[in-house]
Amino acid sequence: MFSARAAKLVTLGVVVAGTLIAETKKEYHFSVGAKAGISVNNPYGSISVKPSLNNTVVVDAVLHSDKVEVDNNQTGNRVDIQSHLLPGADADSGRVDYEIWVPADASITLHCSDGSLRAEKLHGDVTLEGAGAAVDVRDVSDGHVHVRTMNGAVNLDNIQNGHVEVNSLSGDVTMRSVTGPLVQVVSTSGRINYIGDFGNSGEYRLTSHSGDIEATIPEWTSADVSARSVRGEVHDDIPLQPKTHTWFPLDKGRAFAGTMGRVAMSSTVILRTFSGKIHLRKRPEKQ
Amino acid sequence: MNCVELQQSLANTEDASTAEQRAHVKGCPACAALVKELNVIVAAAGELREADEPSPRVWNSIEAALRQEGLIRPAPHPLEPSFSGRWGAFGWLVPAMAMLLIALGIYLRREQAPRELAHQPTLATSAAAADLSDDDFLQEIAANTPTMKVQYEENLRRVNESIREAEGLVRESPYDGEARQSLLDAYQQKSMLFEMAMDRPLP
Repeated sequence: MFSARAAKLVTLGVVVAGTLIAETKKEYHFSVGAKAGISVNNPYGSISVKPSLNNTVVVDAVLHSDKVEVDNNQTGNRVDIQSHLLPGADADSGRVDYEIWVPADASITLHCSDGSLRAEKLHGDVTLEGAGAAVDVRDVSDGHVHVRTMNGAVNLDNIQNGHVEVNSLSGDVTMRSVTGPLVQVVSTSGRINYIGDFGNSGEYRLTSHSGDIEATIPEWTSADVSARSVRGEVHDDIPLQPKTHTWFPLDKGRAFAGTMGRVAMSSTVILRTFSGKIHLRKRPEKQ
Repeated sequence: MNCVELQQSLANTEDASTAEQRAHVKGCPACAALVKELNVIVAAAGELREADEPSPRVWNSIEAALRQEGLIRPAPHPLEPSFSGRWGAFGWLVPAMAMLLIALGIYLRREQAPRELAHQPTLATSAAAADLSDDDFLQEIAANTPTMKVQYEENLRRVNESIREAEGLVRESPYDGEARQSLLDAYQQKSMLFEMAMDRPLP
């Protein structure tokens, strides 16, 4: 019995050691100038991007097997990183996890089929795309944010002063404190949840064909709001100055349109769904 | 010989004098009109030269004035024959050929423009294309992992349903701009789905 137990422990130890040995860590450094462009194409695994303290791009990559290698290339102010799958690679053996530090003004393009994409504290343009990748972007200002995903959940937090465009087929989209001249979300069946105040200018267009749309805003928001659900319902918890003339029918329970707050400085908010529900909620004051 | 071949052959024999050209022009009113127009241009080019040619006295007066001002120097020994020396009495052929080629180009461009416009994607064309490519899409995703394959299929089903519903809405309210926008959004979502499927990683 002792020998059987020992054999099991030894076997376990060998497997763990083997796994650790199979993992390879690689590190790359690139010197870039202002407003550099960095692109990462990683079919399987995670990519996390944070700001660096100087004009250096640092790439830490953990390769999960020898069935994948990292191709890297710098052309001028542009750095390209590619996870190159070798014959026999699959979603597990082809996995690479990246942690990348870039100058805050760099523009990044991240592509991942299955994994996660994360970017934070940047001022350049952020483009994230992945069929099944979960997307998380936070604390980005003065740059445009573009997200395309099939069913990965999208989370945007504290995005200011840039264009935000999200296309999600079925992934849910959650936005907290997202404001800018243009915020546009289009989804086929994903839910859209907005928590914020819509800034004091800009156009906010949230559209989901069959997913629900929920906007939770403070009472002091200044906005020109219109909501329409062709086959679903709309609910409005905040008193609006109703508009009597719109270019779509204001069927009770299916559409509403009105203004709130100061008309002189207000955003345009357009909420549309074919068969989902739209709910304009009032944010509790102490949130 | 078809219309395109005739038009290309006119660059070599602009009067459509070959047997093949004559046979085509005889049976094609459009090409017959083109050849007639080109012949008019060629004839007009010759007449223009003869009408505007000044008398020799004018050239002599100009030459004398230029010599007086020291602007005319003794001509260097030519390494090549001059233009007029090379072409002689047929020097007018060059501008005439240039005008012929320009007219041919304009005619061909006008013929091509309606075909190009016909090929610009319309909402209807996009709709037909979206439906026809589903089999290709399913073939493309077959190589994915079983989990991803199921997710792609489910998203295809959802986006097709959204297209059908949006199309129904446009049919009910053809003048509703938002209905049309929702249909366009649905097509774009499907297009994005296809792009993602085509972009799958390859070992």
